[in-house]
Amino acid sequence: MIIKYISLFFIFLANLSFANYQFETIASNLDDPWSFDFLNNDKIIFTEQPGKIKIITVSSGEISEVSGVPKVQYASQGGLSEIVLDPDFEKNNTLYLSYSALNENGKSTLFLMSAELNNNSLVNKKIIFEAVAYRRVPIHLGAKIDFLSDGTILLTSGDGFDFKEKAQNLDNHFGKILRINKDGSIPSDNPFVRNENALPEIYSYGHRNMQGLVVMGDGKIYEHEHGPRGGDEFNLVEAGKNFGWPAITYGIDYSGAVISPFTKMDGMEQPLKYWVPSIAPSDMIYYEGDLYPDLKNSFLITALVSRDVRKLRISENGISEESLFKELKSRLRSIGASPKGEIYLLTDGRRGKLLKLVNTEQ
Amino acid sequence: MTLAKYPFGVLVAALLTVALTTPISSFANIYWLSSMNMPMSFVSALEIILFDFQRLGILLYGVIIVEFAVAFSIAALIKKYFFNNKYIYPLAGAFITGFTLFVIVELNQTEILSGNRTILGKTLHCLAGFIGGYFFAWLVGKERRLSFAIRSLGIIYAYLLMGLVLNWIFTPINAAANFGFVFNELAPNAQNALLRDFSSFFLATFLFSILGVITLNPVWFFSAGIVYLFAGIFNLVGIYVYLTGFNQIFIGEFFLGIFPIILGYLIIYSNKKSD
Repeated sequence: MIIKYISLFFIFLANLSFANYQFETIASNLDDPWSFDFLNNDKIIFTEQPGKIKIITVSSGEISEVSGVPKVQYASQGGLSEIVLDPDFEKNNTLYLSYSALNENGKSTLFLMSAELNNNSLVNKKIIFEAVAYRRVPIHLGAKIDFLSDGTILLTSGDGFDFKEKAQNLDNHFGKILRINKDGSIPSDNPFVRNENALPEIYSYGHRNMQGLVVMGDGKIYEHEHGPRGGDEFNLVEAGKNFGWPAITYGIDYSGAVISPFTKMDGMEQPLKYWVPSIAPSDMIYYEGDLYPDLKNSFLITALVSRDVRKLRISENGISEESLFKELKSRLRSIGASPKGEIYLLTDGRRGKLLKLVNTEQ
Repeated sequence: MTLAKYPFGVLVAALLTVALTTPISSFANIYWLSSMNMPMSFVSALEIILFDFQRLGILLYGVIIVEFAVAFSIAALIKKYFFNNKYIYPLAGAFITGFTLFVIVELNQTEILSGNRTILGKTLHCLAGFIGGYFFAWLVGKERRLSFAIRSLGIIYAYLLMGLVLNWIFTPINAAANFGFVFNELAPNAQNALLRDFSSFFLATFLFSILGVITLNPVWFFSAGIVYLFAGIFNLVGIYVYLTGFNQIFIGEFFLGIFPIILGYLIIYSNKKSD
């Protein structure tokens, strides 16, 4: 009997393997997991959209819950979204959360909170940003967070679906990438800070639903965003630039209607790459570790619809693309690399899993 | 020969309503793009309208057929037993259109139709439903013959082809893209062949169906049907003999082939009955 189970286990591993890689399930039955970060090589802190933060010890599989989590609006695509540790987390124990919630006036929008993690509890919580992007239901929030080398925070704020046209207006936060200081104040060198008709937090605009954001060591910012039916984009973000949504797009509406007959326009940026049909990109890292040589120096993008990881490599000849881990057959929600360089994946849904990619050659 | 006029009344009234509702979203879009100083031209506006007729219109047609079938059935009962008024059907059409749009928004938690976001847009959709109901009342107001059904179905068939025809005539590059061709990557001779062959193919079959509707001569419907049947057959030959890869459009081709052939036989049957 034992031999049978061991055999089945290895058959399972073989089915999941990709070239010289295998997946190890670290945790399962996670409730709509959305994002994770590494407290160290053995401890991962992750969010569940209904409003929970948990810490898992990889070596033991033990999961503990963090208290003091803010109340979120868990509906549609909303809830507790991104969690990232401050670059100086070891010194200040600070982390950042993005989530959808109702404000004092009962309006739904995107929030950014900073808090200190102290003995599995969030303390010194501060809402450092409330998006001027009020909507009926929390949908198309963006909600990705990353840090620039100067210590400022980038936050993606989606177009809210019903408000897509507002992505072209600078008087709101729909469809924008925002840049703020860690205390919520506004950097004086933001591109629209001196424009009276624009909100000063805006860093770039004309975006849709951006769920991948990477700041490179050289300061370049890459993001990807969901298109409608077709038209997912991978962009190089620059301050003050207009990325065109919805005035230009390679996609059409879910109803089949035209959103725009234009795909290019002066003054609007072109994506580095776009996908038709959509793959529904949900998260992205730039992998620089050594544990998986085939993946080194590549962007790794998880996808919900194509249920794979897209490996993008930028070279002088353009962008090459490869589909990985199709055998998982899962909607993939998030990806991350530990300080040691181990890659982890989160699968999407009410019974999500945390998977670890194991290089069988090492 | 008389026929079940109510189902055909629903089909035709729904078609008119689609023709009225689809442009609401198109024009809302055109208006916004123009307000953003996008270089909207007659061609680009037409491109939006035609594309919407072809994609959104088909989707709406299915929805409106169902909603009209329900609403007009209830309206017919009210009219027969409670309140006989000529505005029962138009009011039912307006109400069900507004109600359906409300339900779609609540189910999806988003406003899928861009033309329905404003009060004006909502009003226009309900007005389209009202006109559809009014047309339905007119259609079922007297007995109709089988020829009426054939003509109605022929118009629906022509409507299905119309989007393709106009797309190939006015925006051929986009039409080619819909068929998987990257137009600019084709050699000039191939571009020319693609444009003339596809345009004439769809235009000819569209005209066959229109002539069938006008003359009720079955030959026109048979002609259109034969063309699409062979398109479907050679699609399968391509897939299984020349290994071109699976292309599920053969299902549509067989539908477009069989449908007019049935209409042709209905005309022959109708003529025999008359004799």
